[in-house]
Amino acid sequence: MKTAGLLSRLYLAALFLFVFAPIVTSMVFSFNSDRFPTVPLGQFTLDWYRTAFARPEVWAAFGNSLIVALSAAALSTALGFATAYTDFRYGFRFKTAYLALALLPPTIPLVIMGLAMLAWLARLGLSGTLPGIVIAHTVMGAPFAMAICRMRLQQMDAALEAAAWNLGASPWRAMRAVVIPFSLPALISAYCLTAAVSFDEFIVAWFVSGLNKTVPVMILEILQGNVDPQINAIGTVVFLTSMTLVVVAQLLLLRRRDP
Amino acid sequence: MTDQDPLVRFEGVKKRYESFEAVKGIDLDIARGEFVAIMGPSGCGKTTTLRMLAGLEAPTEGTITIGGRVMNDVPAHERDTPMVWQSLALFPFLNVQQNVEFGMKMRGVPEDERNTRALMWLERLGLKGFEKRRIDQLSGGQRQRVALARSLVTEPEMLLLDEPLSALDAHLVIRMQGVLSRLQKELGITFVYVTHSQSEAFAMADRVVIMGHGEIAQIGKPQEVFRAPRNRFVAEFVGRNNILAGQVSGGEIDIGGLRMPLPGAPDGAAEIVVAADRMRVGREAPETHGIRAQFLSEEFAGTGIICYFEDADGAELKAQVSEAELEALSPEPGQSFWLTWAPEAAHVTET
Repeated sequence: MKTAGLLSRLYLAALFLFVFAPIVTSMVFSFNSDRFPTVPLGQFTLDWYRTAFARPEVWAAFGNSLIVALSAAALSTALGFATAYTDFRYGFRFKTAYLALALLPPTIPLVIMGLAMLAWLARLGLSGTLPGIVIAHTVMGAPFAMAICRMRLQQMDAALEAAAWNLGASPWRAMRAVVIPFSLPALISAYCLTAAVSFDEFIVAWFVSGLNKTVPVMILEILQGNVDPQINAIGTVVFLTSMTLVVVAQLLLLRRRDP
Repeated sequence: MTDQDPLVRFEGVKKRYESFEAVKGIDLDIARGEFVAIMGPSGCGKTTTLRMLAGLEAPTEGTITIGGRVMNDVPAHERDTPMVWQSLALFPFLNVQQNVEFGMKMRGVPEDERNTRALMWLERLGLKGFEKRRIDQLSGGQRQRVALARSLVTEPEMLLLDEPLSALDAHLVIRMQGVLSRLQKELGITFVYVTHSQSEAFAMADRVVIMGHGEIAQIGKPQEVFRAPRNRFVAEFVGRNNILAGQVSGGEIDIGGLRMPLPGAPDGAAEIVVAADRMRVGREAPETHGIRAQFLSEEFAGTGIICYFEDADGAELKAQVSEAELEALSPEPGQSFWLTWAPEAAHVTET
């Protein structure tokens, strides 16, 4: 019994080590004064952060990523919520097909998605523009937002909305006064998660971004040039940004459900 | 429009869903200030009927009028028909007072007035001091009263109640029945109360409407429905009844060889209903008429003991006896007894 407990703990520790070791390594080396990742470590330094963030293209990329992530998250959340609400509220033929279609994008190989987006956005004259990346990331984020909103709406008593109508709220008023407040934790959570998805996304962004590079695309370009710990520094910032968003999303999702 | 006109009138109202007819044409008048209970087993169409009154479902056929106005196409939010829901449907993200003020807020009542009226109703229902509580910090009975306050604060002419007590503990049900009856009398407004519970309906309602399979099976005062069920469905649903089928000829009914006077009944097939509490049990054959049946089991039912029997044809019979009677009989399973009843205890149903 005791050995089994110990073994499963060891297994868990090994698992976490396996998952997080590369990230932790990258973080550690971002503060290391040596140019090459070698052990023993050199001294603690913030130089790599200073050099990285002294470059205007790094700031430009972060700016692009921020604009894209915030806009794509807003659009994904709105679209995902509307889709989830349609599923919650209405019964109709081909509903299964509707749901399957709405949840399809994450299953499409990213290279295919990137190529398709490039071809399509080029036709619309949007390839290489920030709105183009926003559209691509909205397509990728909306299914996640929908899944999150759907989970929340499933916890909602259908009588809640009817009760609002019954008390004199028009359907729009009931949406604003009841459905949206009830779904608020899910909406914020979906916003954070889709922002993180967009902020991290590389492949499709690489196809459609052109000269308006987002952070992951810029990281690759820097890597193709010369490798130095600036990459680790940028990577650490990206990781912390995404993790913060994901953790906020998780906290809201795991919050004790309302009775 | 006079006070004698009904507040609510259903005329030939049907509700059809794609593949099934939930309500198959009902006619019903509800008077002002009346407490009407609509009762029936699940799936009988009672909730659909109530939802049509609230405008949450539109009738497929027929008309519903409220106060003389045809309501078929009036959307729910333009009606003044607040409802107390089975799940209560209190808004979990609002506190007690915000819940109570919701209806007034939607109707544009100014904040001062909302506040005054909400506080008045909360006090009236014994919720003073709970104004700022969250809904999940309240007990079942308190939530019930918040739901009532939320519906009544707009001072409607009519309150709809959809199985409002079904989630409460038995002792709370009795107390809430008292609260509801008293409120209805004090306010003088119409209550339309949907339930599957006989005890709730019979304890509070002026009139009960028994529904089955989407139709109204009987409408009447509780006592009438209880003592004179119109047909087999009502007799089986209401109370504990024995239903005996036989043939009437010349003022007598023949129930499998047993003959019993039944003055005034037309000749032909007939069913009689004898309530369990009117059935007498004995070891000796009665002088007039009776059925010989084997004792099966007994069930304690609060006011007495229900004894179950089986006659020679395997039909189940029930009789309600007192504890003293049970002791005197001391029945054992398999023993034979005679069941009899006074002729006036038998009620003939429509077949």
